[in-house]
Amino acid sequence: MKFISSIKKDFNTMTWVLLPVAIAINVVMGQIVVLLKLPVYLDSIGTMLVGALCGPWAGALTGTLSNIIWGLAIDPNAFPWWPVAFFIGLVTGFCAKGGLFKSWWKVVITGFLVALTAAIVSTPIAVYLYGGITASGSSFITAYLLQTGQGVLQAVFSTNFLVEPVDKISTALLAFAILQGLSRRFLARFPRPENVEVETGASRTELFIAIGVVIVLVLIAAFVLVKILG
Amino acid sequence: MHERLSFYVKRDSFLHRLNPLTKLTLVFGLILIAFGSPWYWTPHGIVLLVIFPLSFLGKVQREYFQAAVRLILPAAGFLFVMQALFQPGGETVLVRLWLLTITQESLLFAFSNAMRIFVMVSSFTLFLLTTHPSELMSDLTRRGLPGQFAYVIISTLQIIPQMQAKAQTIIAAQRSRGLDTQSSFGKRVGALVPLVGPLVFGSLVEVEERAIAIEARGFTSRRPKTSLYEIPDSALDKALRWGLIALVVASLASRFLFD
Repeated sequence: MKFISSIKKDFNTMTWVLLPVAIAINVVMGQIVVLLKLPVYLDSIGTMLVGALCGPWAGALTGTLSNIIWGLAIDPNAFPWWPVAFFIGLVTGFCAKGGLFKSWWKVVITGFLVALTAAIVSTPIAVYLYGGITASGSSFITAYLLQTGQGVLQAVFSTNFLVEPVDKISTALLAFAILQGLSRRFLARFPRPENVEVETGASRTELFIAIGVVIVLVLIAAFVLVKILG
Repeated sequence: MHERLSFYVKRDSFLHRLNPLTKLTLVFGLILIAFGSPWYWTPHGIVLLVIFPLSFLGKVQREYFQAAVRLILPAAGFLFVMQALFQPGGETVLVRLWLLTITQESLLFAFSNAMRIFVMVSSFTLFLLTTHPSELMSDLTRRGLPGQFAYVIISTLQIIPQMQAKAQTIIAAQRSRGLDTQSSFGKRVGALVPLVGPLVFGSLVEVEERAIAIEARGFTSRRPKTSLYEIPDSALDKALRWGLIALVVASLASRFLFD
């Protein structure tokens, strides 16, 4: 039962108290972005913060409860999307555990991986629950792709894949900036402060490797996308 | 930005008196039947014959129809229009508009999808209108949900309005110092940092104090906790729950039999 006890260790009192604050950050940030009329959602900053600081399962729980509370308090349309939020928290947590939350370019990779997961998870929900076209603005792209003769699954997935990375990478970068602004003493009270410790003296070659990795990831993704569409 | 943070309306009605778990079963039962039933007209029937009468039975018809017009109809309506216009396939062409064609099949498909979403959101709205969040949480905790979950949900519902008020104050303060939140795209992106910074750091600082406070009140204690309020769970509740489960099973089974 090593697995369960490792999860339990991630849920100390600090985690339980951080959860409501993180969920509130998700909700209020989502509303500030609407107020500023920016073309992103940024409504999972809190989820990513918890995922990085308290482990994947705490992140997953934050995401799920965020959607439940969004549905309870603001808009019942949010309920069916909880699996997406669940995986956003989970993937962020695993990336942070693997050391991908320690410098800005690694955080970009985390954001990209999260976006990919979110695109994959939200596709079946959009297709089977809403019949492909949902009540969000990006559905116009889906509709266009459907008209060009794409299958529903492909059309929805490509739309998500076009929309998600911008949002998730900026969310991850913002979460990273917030973590950098917090004191070490404060971070040390959470279960996994080592996840977000900044690496000092990242060398130039490392940066080039990172840029290479990002380019390769984008190429692979583009290749997969073309395969699906073609 | 100030939204009312709970849909709950205090009334004395049959629906309000039902046990929260019974109402939750009703919500999921209606959704499963609407999505699972093989007959085309099931979701429409549920809306007319179950959800509308229930809103009157719960004496929340005014609030329900307000929510329906404000939240549910726009979403379902948008879905309907988009799907009717863009869903490919179908033979019987009804209207041909420029590049778009509306076929009878796509129209029917869009209508049934919109109705299903309408059932889903409606039944949740009805549930939220007649159930107080803390009542739901104490009932679920009594049935074995860990107390921490109840803490997270209830305290989030309290923190969000506080944080919205704080966000309003910060926005007003930064605007009075000349922060531009309305002009060009670049300026609006730039405005994000001075707004988010104070808000997030301010709220995170409170976390530690709160952790110490609830730790001192036995938050992590494993002993069973007593409750001040007793939430009724009558024989009628139990019968209703089992009846609903039977209905769901029947509708799912009929899908396999008649499909």
